[in-house]
Amino acid sequence: MINRTFDRWASIVFVLVGIFFIVASKSLSTTAYGSGVGPDVFPFGLGILLVLLSIRLFYETFRYQANEQEKVTLDWKRFLIVIVAVLFYASSLEWLGYILSTFIFLVITFQTMERGKWISTILVSGFFSGGVYYLYVNVLKGVLPSFPLF
Amino acid sequence: MNTLEFLYQGFLVSFQWTNLFYAFFGVLIGTAVGVLPGIGPMSGVALLIPITSTLTSGASPEDAAASSIILLAGVYYGAMYGGSTTSILLNTPGESSSVVTTLDGYQMAKQGRAGAALSISAIGSFVAGIVSLIFLVFLAGPLSDLAIKFGPNEYFSLMILGLCAVSGLAGKSLTKALIMTVSGLLLATIGLDNVSGVARFTFDIPYLYQGLEFLTIAVGLFALGEVFKSILERESTEGKIAKVGRVIPSKENLKKSAAPIARGSLLGFFIGILPGAGATLASFFSYLIEKKVSKHPDQFGKGAIEGVAAPESANNAASGGAMIPMLTMGVPGSGTTAILMGALIMYNVQPGPLLFEDHPQVAWGLIASMFIGNLMLLILNMPLVKVFAKIIETPPKYLLPLIIAISVFGVYAVQVTTFDLYLLIAFGVIGYFLAKNDFPLAPLVLGLVLGPMIENNLRRALTNSNGDYSVLFTHPISLAFLILALLWIAVPLVLKYRGKKVITNEEG
Repeated sequence: MINRTFDRWASIVFVLVGIFFIVASKSLSTTAYGSGVGPDVFPFGLGILLVLLSIRLFYETFRYQANEQEKVTLDWKRFLIVIVAVLFYASSLEWLGYILSTFIFLVITFQTMERGKWISTILVSGFFSGGVYYLYVNVLKGVLPSFPLF
Repeated sequence: MNTLEFLYQGFLVSFQWTNLFYAFFGVLIGTAVGVLPGIGPMSGVALLIPITSTLTSGASPEDAAASSIILLAGVYYGAMYGGSTTSILLNTPGESSSVVTTLDGYQMAKQGRAGAALSISAIGSFVAGIVSLIFLVFLAGPLSDLAIKFGPNEYFSLMILGLCAVSGLAGKSLTKALIMTVSGLLLATIGLDNVSGVARFTFDIPYLYQGLEFLTIAVGLFALGEVFKSILERESTEGKIAKVGRVIPSKENLKKSAAPIARGSLLGFFIGILPGAGATLASFFSYLIEKKVSKHPDQFGKGAIEGVAAPESANNAASGGAMIPMLTMGVPGSGTTAILMGALIMYNVQPGPLLFEDHPQVAWGLIASMFIGNLMLLILNMPLVKVFAKIIETPPKYLLPLIIAISVFGVYAVQVTTFDLYLLIAFGVIGYFLAKNDFPLAPLVLGLVLGPMIENNLRRALTNSNGDYSVLFTHPISLAFLILALLWIAVPLVLKYRGKKVITNEEG
């Protein structure tokens, strides 16, 4: 399955990334002490290469044969809930503490994957978040954000 | 000290009870990773890097490196054993390297011979594992001695060869593979330049001075990417799981499989050494060869035991062979070995010709542990195969969120910043969309791991020659590598242009 639209946008993004590296490497100092080749040469060259390859990909998208797309129904709702949940998990980790934020994340995602069975959801989430915290902090003497102080 | 003495020292390392535990844990997780469709060896190894680094955090750097590489390598070759289980029982390959096993394996299962197929593939994998290790033991020394004579220009060209080989065989579009390679190399330039000390592309963001962490990117791209794919595409493994039946193979089956196992082991090993080729190609070719030499080729596809024995031996032998260029020359030939190499570099152990001299404990400990690990896998996969078949039934409802939670825990435990968690999520999303649209991820990881070394060697070569780029082409060995690299890209392109079908390596 070839997706023409995605590949076009991707090639434009990669061109921009390439141009970014070309421009940004020009602002680096050009030589290093004792060496004729500075820190800018390698990223500058790669940036040009990336731009050329992306233009080539953009050109290739015009030669794609129009073939019928495989119909795969994508579950966007489920995906978005999980993404929001994991972003919230990452941002709340340091102020809610590891156990609480992990527990909330797991309960939300378990229920998103399949509604119902609250008891097993709460048991698995509780055991995982508590178990990992205990093993890592008490047995392996690592550091994780503890409970919030309120 | 000669090779056998080193090997003896290695066994002393791997027989320490902690390392026995790490090897066992590694092969156990590896088998589970192999059995579960959707989680490949790359995501399995990536996911376990942060876990091993927390487990080994108390040990001395040298011990920690040895223990964690023993565990991670165990995941890699353990997955090769486990991959066959679902191929045979469900007609769903657990790994891309077990795709051909479905052809005859599932037919055998339908005829009630699943037990025989499973045990022959375990025995084949074991023999192949041992054969490739013996080659590894005797090739490691001479190859590092050869590689140690390379100057920076030869090294630069050798790594370019490695990159081209992996890009040339990865995925459907060469352009996309090369874009991913270059992107990986560019991402590797972010951070403090280790030659001049200049901060590159950091924009005064303190997190970026260290560069993008390899671990975060690998876990994001592979582990989270796979999870997002399963969440979006609602993959479900439906279908009946065949009954395992009698596990002990009959004498007749063993006799029939002996030659295919031997051929598969040798072929797999040599394909594994080649950069870019890997377990998937090895299993594919060995199946084709068995079909060619067989006296009854019409039996293939209808449950011929040779069609299970050969590819399963080949993919395991290939995973052993793939360790050789990574360990002796520091040039990984596949995505999974690139991740293993990234893990070693995290411990300040630089794979390459000096590895066997500077860190004999790590190198020989790993090799010796692979002998033990293969034996453990044989035991795990023969009597306990019925237990592992149960893993297939793990509900994805629990598995997928737990993989996300493990990734978050692992990255946070090592990096201790939320910045890396956002990076992890971003790379997970990017990884999913790129992989879905045939942008292969293995070249990106390879570029990321090799980037700093390629740049350093290039700059050293150019400094020695006062900025004259012709040193790359005037030294014969360096020139030979570059020509090979060019051919590796050009030949598949020409074949494709002529309308031939080119087999590509999806495992990476």
